[in-house]
Amino acid sequence: MEFDHEGQNSMNDFEQELAEAFARRPAPPSLKRKIMALRSQQNTERIRNRTAILQRLAACLILCAALAGGVAWRNREEQRKGEEARQKVLTALRVTSHALDQVKTQLAAHDRDRQQ
Amino acid sequence: MARDWQPDFEKLVDDHQSMVFSLALRMTGDRGLAEEIAQDVFLELDRHLARIESPAHALNWLRRVAMNRSADALRRRKVRCMDLWVEIEEGHGAQAEQKPSAIGSRIESLLASLPEPQRAALILRYQEDLTPEEIAELLSAPLATVKSHLQRGLRLLRAKATSHLGEYIRGV
Repeated sequence: MEFDHEGQNSMNDFEQELAEAFARRPAPPSLKRKIMALRSQQNTERIRNRTAILQRLAACLILCAALAGGVAWRNREEQRKGEEARQKVLTALRVTSHALDQVKTQLAAHDRDRQQ
Repeated sequence: MARDWQPDFEKLVDDHQSMVFSLALRMTGDRGLAEEIAQDVFLELDRHLARIESPAHALNWLRRVAMNRSADALRRRKVRCMDLWVEIEEGHGAQAEQKPSAIGSRIESLLASLPEPQRAALILRYQEDLTPEEIAELLSAPLATVKSHLQRGLRLLRAKATSHLGEYIRGV
């Protein structure tokens, strides 16, 4: 028991020694300067990366807008050409109809003449 | 809910650089590596600054990340005990700084020869004055495991100290 008590005491002494030996060591004087420099460098890089991403995004948006504009213009152009063609066909049909009416009138007149 | 405390990165560096550096130095035994780890830890803190809620949170966060980074660095480098001895004995780059006492330096070099989990537990217990419960929480380890690491580490360190540093240790 006495041995245990002695052992406990010497262990406590040793723990005391450890606590003293394990005091925090001062950081190198240059550490803070290096950290602040690296931080500033990282922030600059972060801003640069963000700017590059925004630039790419803007370029993509412009490209998309140009493509969408191109597609819309092409659709409108096709629509316009279609409408033009439709108008031409309608005009042709009107001319044909008019000509047929004239032929019909002439034929009716011709039939009347023959009956008389 | 608005936070009262706003983290000031520069002040956090001022307040905790010695703690982070000491943890990394005692875990790795390499001043250069410890300095690199401390830089990485603070740069990571900068990236996570918005999530830090209080000074106590910052302190715990720094301790945990410093220990994790040191363990990662050790695994990567596979630093051998003998290398640690040489580094600590030579004290590379430490000429201008306050040197630890002879016994402190020797205990540190003996500490470097302990298995990593025991070393981590002892460093947190005696450098940071944490309770086993706090160490268990910090290392995300079961309390019984931490207590076992502390007991075994202390016994092993004491045995090594008895054979190497008999003249320095009180009660040996």
